[in-house]
Amino acid sequence: MSNLWFLNGIKKGIVTEKFPKTPPEDPPLWPSMLSGSGDAQCPVDAIDNNGWNMDKCIFCRRCLPSFKPNGNQDIFTVESEAPIFRRSLYIYPLDSGSCGGCNIELLNIFTPQYDANRLGLFITNSPRHADAIVVMGVFTEGMEEPLRLAYEAMPDPKIVIALGACAISGGIIGTPALERSRYNVRIAGCPPSPYTIIKALIAARGV
Amino acid sequence: MKYYSFGEPSGRIIGYSQDFTVYSATIVRSKENVVQPERKVAPQGEFYFGYGPSTGGMIESVGIDFLTPGELITEARVNPNYKLRNLNVRGRTIGDASLIAERINAFHCASHSIAFASAVEDALGFHLPDGVGCTRIIALELERIRSNLLVIERMCQPAGFGVPVNQLALLREEVSRVVSRATGHRYFFNSISPGYSQLNLSGIDNAVSRISSVFSRIYDDLLESKIFMNRLINNGKVSADSLIGPAARASGHAFDARMDSPTLPYSQFGFTPVLHETSDAFARFQVRSDEILQSARIISEAIKVASTTSKMETLEGDGEGAARVESPQGDLFYYVKIKNSTVRDIVMVSPSSLNIAAFAQSMKGNIFTDFHFNWESFGIWISEAGVMLQ
Repeated sequence: MSNLWFLNGIKKGIVTEKFPKTPPEDPPLWPSMLSGSGDAQCPVDAIDNNGWNMDKCIFCRRCLPSFKPNGNQDIFTVESEAPIFRRSLYIYPLDSGSCGGCNIELLNIFTPQYDANRLGLFITNSPRHADAIVVMGVFTEGMEEPLRLAYEAMPDPKIVIALGACAISGGIIGTPALERSRYNVRIAGCPPSPYTIIKALIAARGV
Repeated sequence: MKYYSFGEPSGRIIGYSQDFTVYSATIVRSKENVVQPERKVAPQGEFYFGYGPSTGGMIESVGIDFLTPGELITEARVNPNYKLRNLNVRGRTIGDASLIAERINAFHCASHSIAFASAVEDALGFHLPDGVGCTRIIALELERIRSNLLVIERMCQPAGFGVPVNQLALLREEVSRVVSRATGHRYFFNSISPGYSQLNLSGIDNAVSRISSVFSRIYDDLLESKIFMNRLINNGKVSADSLIGPAARASGHAFDARMDSPTLPYSQFGFTPVLHETSDAFARFQVRSDEILQSARIISEAIKVASTTSKMETLEGDGEGAARVESPQGDLFYYVKIKNSTVRDIVMVSPSSLNIAAFAQSMKGNIFTDFHFNWESFGIWISEAGVMLQ
């Protein structure tokens, strides 16, 4: 009965994982950390003499069997931590030119399996209330100004997070939404999994 | 091209691209005038209210201008081109072009990959074995279940229905995990390409059957909520021959690419489209919901005859091909011209473009608080509407 939604919800019990206190229960293989060596035909030059570059990788499997995924979801880089947000971090998502994959995975961190709110991570609908802007997708002319205005509207201190290969390097689609030096945090993946996003957002707070 | 020909309009309208108007049986090399008329000066007593392009209420960047005297919407104009992406596909190998097709709209990667792969296979005369066709049907129907769950979840959200929103999100994540276990990727990336499909079918049937059963109970409960129904009934009424996908089927039109697919053996499973008549957001909600249950049934049948993996074929040669699949939002069409195994020309016609036009038409006479319910009921994805393949 619809007027019993509350009881209906209670009956479901707790479905949220203990992650990140415990390892991910169901991590995807792609994307995850790649390990290996040797030559590979990489369409985005993510593999060269220095090995694998997670920021460029679109996890297309062309490098198999020289490079293989190991399931490790810690594929992100924090350039500068922001401990001031260690109790709570409000993020404002900005789609500069994405395929929708990063957008939906960011929303997925709030599904019951992950419940990012319990970790002090929240989405805000206004940049005025945001601590961090999460940029998704490649550079597009039409979103250049909204991105700049959203950034300027945010109060200081603030952090800029690149979510996914397109925002970081342009991936196979185009050019990155911002210069690499503008990002405080880079979250690799195409798209990054909810596990990776949660881990990266927590690490950005220096927790 | 075995299944399409250039010529005069024949059949129902599928959509438009820069150069083509596509019908269910033919491609016409001239574009009809689908450009929105210039924005007029607001009449006295009315004003334009701009929503977007970047706003927390929407999943993607999109600009919408509402003309209104205060509450009633007298005109809605949608601009999907703020985040317009120009994707360079021409001149690329088939494999590289496939990587880009997957990334036109990740959430509907299976639809885009299968439509692109089918067009290439048509161009190069590759016959897809029925078992592999069934694997692709499973991928499409899994994607439809997840997409429809999101649409219904997003329709519950503005009603403040926290419990069903979370229960639907739970099911949606379960589908993503099923896809991840079957393909290694949560959005089917790199599991479907021309001449190739790979899906580990183990455990899909049980998982989908459980998801369908849980959803069925949520659906029944939602149908008992008068408050929820009142937000949907008579909201966004639109009925026209140019509708496609769930919007068409919610208006009683039996328009569905699964009925006449030449490459995917849906007829083996006695497929008939779900139809409702009232043409409003409620009917679209019903179509999406009934199709979740239908997709689960199709998967349980298809899994008995599907091939887990096909031999990786290297497709080579020259040719021209076209294909259409029923993505969760409606007909998705691809045309390709291949020369020396390189993509020389490519055209994609996305269902979201026609759905945007239908949404704009349906908003007239509604009030602003109807907007989110109505927008979500169309399941529009800007990433596949605001994109140019070059």
